[in-house]
Amino acid sequence: MPINLRTPQAETREQRLGTITQWDGSAAQLARDSAFTFGCGRDCGPGGRRLCELSSPYSQASMCAEQIAVTNATIIRDTVVIQHAPIGCASSQSFTSRYSRDLAARRGWKPEDPRSICTNLGEQDMVFGGVERLADTIRDAYERHHPRVIFVATSCATGIIGDDVDGTARQLEEEIGIPVVPLHCEGFKSRHWSSGWDVIEHGILRRLVPHRPDDKNPDLINVIHLGGPDVFSPLLNPLGLEVNLVMGGNPLERLAALSTAAATVTMCFVLSYLATGLEQEYGVPEIRAPLPYGLDASDNWLRDIARVTGRTHLVEAVIASERARIAPELDRLRRLLKGKKGFVAAGAAFAHGLIADLRELGVTVDDAYSFHHDPSTDSGDPEQDSLGHLVQTTGDVRNFTVSPDQHFQAHAALKRARPDFVICRHSGTMAVLAARMGIPVLPIFYSNDGIGYDGLLTIGRAILRVLPRRRFYEDVEAHSAFPYRREWLEETDPFALEAAE
Amino acid sequence: MNVLTPIAAVPSASFIAPPGPIEQVRYACALGALTSVIAIEGAIPITHCGPGCASKQFHALSGISGYQGGEFHVPSTNIGNKEVIFGGADRLDELIASTLKIMEAELYVVQSGCIPGLVGDDVDNVVRSYQRRGVPIVFAETLGYRGNNFTGHETVVKAILEQYVAKQPAAPKRAGLVNVWSLLPYQNPFWRGDLTEIRRLLEGIGLEVNILFGPASAGLAEWRAVPSAEFNLVLSPWLGLSTARDLEAAYGQPTLHIPALPVGARQTAAFLRAVGDHAGIARSKVDTFVAAEERTYYRYLRDFAHFYSGCTSQYRLPSEVNVVADSAYALAVSKFLVGDLGLNPGVIVVTENPPDSERDGIVAAFRDLAPGIDGEPLFETDGHRAHAVIRAHDRIGELPIVFGSTWEANIAAEIGAPLVEVSYPVTDEVVLNRAYVGYRGALQLIERTYTTVVRQSTEENPEAAAS
Repeated sequence: MPINLRTPQAETREQRLGTITQWDGSAAQLARDSAFTFGCGRDCGPGGRRLCELSSPYSQASMCAEQIAVTNATIIRDTVVIQHAPIGCASSQSFTSRYSRDLAARRGWKPEDPRSICTNLGEQDMVFGGVERLADTIRDAYERHHPRVIFVATSCATGIIGDDVDGTARQLEEEIGIPVVPLHCEGFKSRHWSSGWDVIEHGILRRLVPHRPDDKNPDLINVIHLGGPDVFSPLLNPLGLEVNLVMGGNPLERLAALSTAAATVTMCFVLSYLATGLEQEYGVPEIRAPLPYGLDASDNWLRDIARVTGRTHLVEAVIASERARIAPELDRLRRLLKGKKGFVAAGAAFAHGLIADLRELGVTVDDAYSFHHDPSTDSGDPEQDSLGHLVQTTGDVRNFTVSPDQHFQAHAALKRARPDFVICRHSGTMAVLAARMGIPVLPIFYSNDGIGYDGLLTIGRAILRVLPRRRFYEDVEAHSAFPYRREWLEETDPFALEAAE
Repeated sequence: MNVLTPIAAVPSASFIAPPGPIEQVRYACALGALTSVIAIEGAIPITHCGPGCASKQFHALSGISGYQGGEFHVPSTNIGNKEVIFGGADRLDELIASTLKIMEAELYVVQSGCIPGLVGDDVDNVVRSYQRRGVPIVFAETLGYRGNNFTGHETVVKAILEQYVAKQPAAPKRAGLVNVWSLLPYQNPFWRGDLTEIRRLLEGIGLEVNILFGPASAGLAEWRAVPSAEFNLVLSPWLGLSTARDLEAAYGQPTLHIPALPVGARQTAAFLRAVGDHAGIARSKVDTFVAAEERTYYRYLRDFAHFYSGCTSQYRLPSEVNVVADSAYALAVSKFLVGDLGLNPGVIVVTENPPDSERDGIVAAFRDLAPGIDGEPLFETDGHRAHAVIRAHDRIGELPIVFGSTWEANIAAEIGAPLVEVSYPVTDEVVLNRAYVGYRGALQLIERTYTTVVRQSTEENPEAAAS
């Protein structure tokens, strides 16, 4: 099903991909059942079925799509984001302030405060509507900062009261003469926060990527990532490719060059909406090879990029040299990590990648926790079935839990797994949970850390740095408790509550 | 207290009409008061709101506020399309029932966010059905579009007092027991240490203290003892006044309102004498404690005078104090820096949008920071406008220092001022039990202030230091 760019709202992940957020079983089973959605492209033997979401009567505070969309819009330079919302939605501005300064430090940019303004809706706006406030705020934003683009993010409240954000944006765009791009990201509309990626990528595709058929650059490759250090140029420059790194705070020029590139890769298929859209709209091919986690996958990823961009003659030398370069250190890390048991908690394709990395490092992974599961991708290409690929190339994961950062389920899953360490993203719940259970934890803030050959070294070394902290975590564990009933504290089935219903 | 009073306090007009667009947000929404529940040992919030609401408020207030951390595994209905269309009361009912199965708490506080307010869920009715079954559970309507986490805090406190505390068996008054209503937990990064110091000071003059929030509190046992207290001490410019008025009406407890958190010996001695007089404690007893504290305190100040007089240093010691903070700290810091350390007041911005009814009182509290020297607080919630005022301020010959939040980093650099982070958001301080109030807190405030001055003069700004 093609991506629909005619409407200002991106369809949610549940609608497009059949995304689920609650499931428990083996990775092999989940991959087999997901194959149904991929239309028998892979593993669709008997047993495949449409995935059904488990539902839990109990649930804990999670995250929403608005936060993803707004954070990633806010860090784009020369823009202002307007959060058309009551004040609480904008309390993430403080987080974005920290994030954007950290990003600037890592990328060598001048540190700047993120520019976002909240319309600060109150009770009378709920009754009479908030579009006038929105119009005034857009004018204010333009006067204050003279941005090149203004994003307007919606909220649960404005979605419910029905403010005409699209109409107001169009009207103000004419008035001030710069793009005013609505981001429809009401938190209640999707069960999973990763829909926020689709929202910002939808906005970018519709409004910020000009068609430039005469500017094709055969040496340019788009890399869509979540943010953080550029680990891609060292991998791709030897192929004669120049990296156009987008998202993660990169400037508008990078977005404007998207349609001119020879190909697009995403560092995580959770972000592939933009890549698929670029192929659909501008014929920029999307690299669909499994993501570069582990040696073989990294080899094959480079080969696929070389094939699509016409550089196959260069690639084997690059692969051989990369493998040789990291071999001694990889051996050392494998020796030190041998026999260790790891637990991975991250979002879908990113989790699958980290599991592959750990297994390449010789770590045993029998348990993992994915914040959501996409049975399909927007391309519909089974080549992008990252879970199926993981199971085929590195084996099953016995206990594979899908849960959106639910503390109580993660507690049971960790109790079942009893790992030597946890590696996780979205560290808000999981990192401190593991720590409080006496388990060393490696939070991955910048998700490029595990990519490619160097990614193995980066992750391996980081694990070794956190293992000695067990001394601290065990001390805390012995002197604190969670407010669950004893039965739940001992529970090892994350979905025991459903079973009991 | 009349438990049949409708719970939803009618907010003041200033909250029904919020103050316009805000850049660089410095507080959370009313739902953010879930951090006040988390600050009470033994209590758990149950949130009825969208999927990201509760965690966003918590991580903002606990994480980007000195990295305080805290117990966050908060039940939430994570409202979706279905509840928006068909109503979410049944979903909340299901969540409460399952929470009682899986979690263990002395008190559950149900808080509603924007969505239930807009779609009209009868949350009160759901909660009442549990109350009728004897479950220790209360409801606080903390709609995100009404008020902020300050007023949300008062709503939560009122809910606990009316629906939980008032239902406890009646207990006799205890002489010398005081309820303290002071800093907003989590919003102020130093609340844990400050409340600990306030407790220590009050106990020092012989009082028993319900400090109510944080590690220095005995948790809900203190809350149950609230009606037994002899009086309420409101130690903040305005937060807690409405609570104290309610308690006065319900239990006949008089209110002692001291707007300024005491920082340093002068303020603290005056504070303790005022409280002691109010509580009928013998002056001699207060004076004995004050004398012992001052003996230590002034040893440190005596020795700090070496640095402050410049005998071993060539640093550019600031002469003008600018503050961007909630009224509580704006007042406390200004009073100490102007009144005790001898700086001149610069721009003082009060950021939390206090209710209109309390603003005159706040302005009055800034008079006489030192004898004859008034501070003029500016009420401003928007960072952009606040910074414009700081930028435009005439400060010929003055060396400014800024006490503010992370948002002040750029404006401080622009005017060549060191920045001491004291107000939300705070990203460059890791805070555990550091306090800035009382005797001990003042010494820590001096340490942090002049360490910042030294580092800024030497490392970050070598040319300025050399000039």
